[in-house]
Amino acid sequence: MSVATPLPHDSAPLHVTGRARYVDDIPAPAGTLHLAFGLSPIARGRIKAMDLAAVRAAPGVVRVLTREDLPNACDTSPSAHDEPLLAEGEVFYAGQAVFLVIATSHLAARKAARLGKVEYEEMEPLLSYDETLAAGAEFEAEPRVWQKGDAGAAIAAAPRRLTGRIEIGGQEHFYLEGQAALAIPDDGGAMHVVTSTQHPTEIQHKVADALGLPMAMVRSECRRMGGGFGGKESQGNALAVACAVAAKLTGRACKMRYDRDDDMVITGKRHDFRIDYDVGYDDGGRIAGIDFTQVTRGGWSMDLTLPVADRAMLHADNAYHLPACRITSHRLRTNMCSATAYRGFGGPQGVLGIERMMDEIAHVLGIDPVEVRRVNYYADCAGGGGGGGPSAPRSAAPSPPERYLEQDRSPGSGHAMSGALAGAGKRFGAEHSPVARPVEPQTTPYGMEVKDFLLNGMTAKLLADCDYAGRRAAIRAWNERSPILKRGIGFSPVKFGISFTLTHLNQAGALVHVYQDGSIHLNHGGTEMGQGLFQKVAQVAAARFGVDVAQVRITATDTAKVPNTSATAASSGTDLNGMAAMAACDAIRERMAECLAGLHQAKPEAVVFEGGEVRVGEAAMSFAQAATLCYENRVSLSATGFYRTPDLAWDRIRGQGRPFFYFAHGCAVTEVAIDTLTGENRILRADILHDVGASLNPAIDRGQIEGGYVQGAGWLTTEELVWDDKGRLRTHAPSTYKIPACSDRPPVFNVELWDGENPEATIYRSKAVGEPPFMLGISAFLALSDACAACGPHYPALDAPATAERVLAAVKRARG
Amino acid sequence: MYAFEIERPTSLSDAVSALKAEGAQALGGGQTLIPSLKARLAMPEVLVSLSAIDEIKGICTDDEGRICIGGGTPHGRVAAELKDSYPALASLAARIGDPAVRNRGTIGGSLANNDPSACWPAAALASDAVIKTDRREIAADDFFAGLFETVLEEGEIVTEVRFPVPQAANYQKFAQPASRFALVGVFVAKYEAGVRVAVTGASESGVFRWTEAEEKLSSDFSAAALEGLSHAAEGMIGDLHGTPAYRAHLIGVLTKRAVAAAG
Ligand SMILES: Cc1cc2nc3c(=O)[nH]c(=O)nc-3n(C[C@H](O)[C@H](O)[C@H](O)COP(=O)(O)OP(=O)(O)OC[C@H]3O[C@@H](n4cnc5c(N)ncnc54)[C@H](O)[C@@H]3O)c2cc1C
Repeated sequence: MSVATPLPHDSAPLHVTGRARYVDDIPAPAGTLHLAFGLSPIARGRIKAMDLAAVRAAPGVVRVLTREDLPNACDTSPSAHDEPLLAEGEVFYAGQAVFLVIATSHLAARKAARLGKVEYEEMEPLLSYDETLAAGAEFEAEPRVWQKGDAGAAIAAAPRRLTGRIEIGGQEHFYLEGQAALAIPDDGGAMHVVTSTQHPTEIQHKVADALGLPMAMVRSECRRMGGGFGGKESQGNALAVACAVAAKLTGRACKMRYDRDDDMVITGKRHDFRIDYDVGYDDGGRIAGIDFTQVTRGGWSMDLTLPVADRAMLHADNAYHLPACRITSHRLRTNMCSATAYRGFGGPQGVLGIERMMDEIAHVLGIDPVEVRRVNYYADCAGGGGGGGPSAPRSAAPSPPERYLEQDRSPGSGHAMSGALAGAGKRFGAEHSPVARPVEPQTTPYGMEVKDFLLNGMTAKLLADCDYAGRRAAIRAWNERSPILKRGIGFSPVKFGISFTLTHLNQAGALVHVYQDGSIHLNHGGTEMGQGLFQKVAQVAAARFGVDVAQVRITATDTAKVPNTSATAASSGTDLNGMAAMAACDAIRERMAECLAGLHQAKPEAVVFEGGEVRVGEAAMSFAQAATLCYENRVSLSATGFYRTPDLAWDRIRGQGRPFFYFAHGCAVTEVAIDTLTGENRILRADILHDVGASLNPAIDRGQIEGGYVQGAGWLTTEELVWDDKGRLRTHAPSTYKIPACSDRPPVFNVELWDGENPEATIYRSKAVGEPPFMLGISAFLALSDACAACGPHYPALDAPATAERVLAAVKRARG
Repeated sequence: MYAFEIERPTSLSDAVSALKAEGAQALGGGQTLIPSLKARLAMPEVLVSLSAIDEIKGICTDDEGRICIGGGTPHGRVAAELKDSYPALASLAARIGDPAVRNRGTIGGSLANNDPSACWPAAALASDAVIKTDRREIAADDFFAGLFETVLEEGEIVTEVRFPVPQAANYQKFAQPASRFALVGVFVAKYEAGVRVAVTGASESGVFRWTEAEEKLSSDFSAAALEGLSHAAEGMIGDLHGTPAYRAHLIGVLTKRAVAAAG
């Protein structure tokens, strides 16, 4: 069976031999033109005059466009229609596109762009949290506030109270392949755009809007990205729109890619946050109530700031059952690049807020930080939690998955769905189904019942496996003997909600063809950015037909094949597209089964697709022979599939409902060492236990977990974004901005998958894995804090990223 | 990059005369100069490559026992060849950049460039080295003249650097994590005549000697001798990678480390 198999990434041989094709590798049509933006050097001001004569006269320049030359604003925003392609009289951040150069080569375009003379009337930019708050520059008229119970009263009544603040830096995506797009004009004004994007449908939409075309006239395609991490959810719009507009104007293919410095200056990054907490708790560390105030800098335009900030609120509880809670969220409009999606989408910042608070409570009480976490955990679901912690009974079993297939089956296929899940075997069995109704449901601060919690059991297993208690004691003893180097150990759990919080995005489509030779063409709305989505979905398709995965041809995401797709984001790629592909495969398989059953006087349910063969009663034939037979009997061997996540309901203004289909869990223990003289630090070891349900591909899942941890740890340690007091980003190259390299991964790195199955009816009972492990990197940050705390009696109050200088400052605070 | 001519003399005298031309500039390993040209920070008309001049390459020991490194010798050779005779120099060279930088970049280019974060200036200053050029010999104490400035004249070529071998020495480099250049670097060298401590990466006026530390260490070469001594933050570099106070603090820590490691 092809599912649950640790197959390598389908493109791995191409990746390592350099033969995988990215946008800039595609042989471009003769006469292709190249684009570059002229950028604003200042963060805020009015354009007084623009002299582009030298740009126009530069070698190779074909045209130079300003706002006046565009057919309309050519908006590139994914949300509020507030991002004109080129500045409209005013600039709002250093790096904003002011004019567009179209030239015969990439270099000619870039060189010419430097020659623009733009005069500005400079204005004072809004940069810091405090000045922006004071100026009232927020994206929503008022801050979002969500409440559960009366947090104020609960805090006041609690035996203990503590307040604190953590500052959390942003993060550059640093995808290896920078932003890139290619637009090729088609017949009759239609446009074909190839973009490095997580969201081909949005590219199609924005291009159609800019060109005044119906969406059917624009085809958007993406075979793969060299990394996305959220940075290609909306940030590719500007390049695709620019290329399309230029291609229409010139009648020639147009291509654009940002060089690394430009990419870092122009595109949005992870939102930085400042989180204040005010918590009431008791001597055992049990929380009575919390009041969080989250402030984030969204940059000059709205982009995805609202849902990102929402998700930070949605993860303010992380893994903890809070009796009373109030979360206030300010989304600031600052004169910086527009912060955007980044793996975790605000979740990591929300999680870090409460993890830091837990850490401080443990410090004040002098008890093990893991214990403080455990007393506040949600209760585990029955059956899934393993040995540790109290288990709460769960509510009724989820509906059988057939229901979703039934409702989502493509119209016109009137067959019964019996046997549709034959390939899934016991994974859909009822033995994991919970039994009784809970006495009192445990709910998140936004009123969602937590029914599938696993972390009590997972924590117990991880702590035992990595000998947490023994090592903690050994570290304490070691620290007593070591005046200069100190070690620290940190534990952090994550419970991450899976689904888009904008409910209608939770849908996907697929298109599958079986050719008469038995080869299979697979297409779906998800995009491949190295995460292994295509391989996982191909495994699903192969499993449905009982063939080897090599027989499934993976193809580029293409809006002409599957329309109205959502971004490949929110970790949901496999959940959504795997289900859609399964529905398409099953529709074809059923038609084949019916045809073959008819030929062999058997029942369609008795037709078995397995091991590359199709068996009907005594007869057995290869899948290829079966396909030929069906073709000759005039059976349609092409089908679309569709899926929508069931049971979601969410009101973001009230902060109430069920935004998520389920939760994915993980926990990690990290050990670090710091040098108390300089703040230098190093990860020595990391142990991870992560929940991916029943893994579709343990090799790919492990890769996501390792990569997520390393990227998360990088965010909180070496990756520091620095803007100067004029709002210019000073860290815009790898010479100044440090991402983790292979040699920065922990020398001892144990990753285990939690052996379980998703109680919800997801594709083969697997769980999403893209974002959740990112937050495991928080354990590294907490370990650093623990090492600082070993230097003195005070709480070190470490801020992120924990650069050497910040660690040294925290050591000093600990000493007092 | 602006257009330029390139010449490849094979003798020092040819190079010296080639450098007399208007707008001519020496090209060592190009590890600093080529990126500067790409960024259009320099506009030489003629580049005179020193890479084909064998007489300024290689390492030997002179009659006074000094280690003499040709000005055109790449860092990689120093790293490979001085492990036994002057291990601190070999170790410094081994930590510069990456293999490509070490195979191309030269000691002469590094000293002539006098980047405030470069490693070689600290070694030369702490070792009381003599910098020999096509026309004179300059003591390291007289050679460096502020950020990216030296006393080299127009067209003057560093042909050799002579390092007296110390009794003990060590170079401590606190690498800025992204570029791996020295956020602060301290070279400590102990000679019969006294201890010298040179600091790079830290000061707004470039590499310098920390004389207070030298005095203490000359009478007692131990980390304990530095107890209570700290460097002022005034005049130190404050930038995106670190504050003046942090750099000043690192000077103290790295000096102690260097002394302890030198043994
Ligand atoms: C990625 C990277 C990392 C680096 N990391 C470090 C580091 O950690 N520590 C460090 O110290 N350095 C580092 N460097 C700089 C490196 O050491 C360079 O080799 C050195 O600074 C310049 O030497 P070069 O031979 O390449 O000189 P070039 O770049 O060719 O020239 C530099 C300047 O010196 C002049 N010049 C060259 N040779 C001579 C000569 N013989 N006589 C007179 N003038 C001459 C040139 O005219 C020019 O003005 C790094 C460089 C890179 C690219």
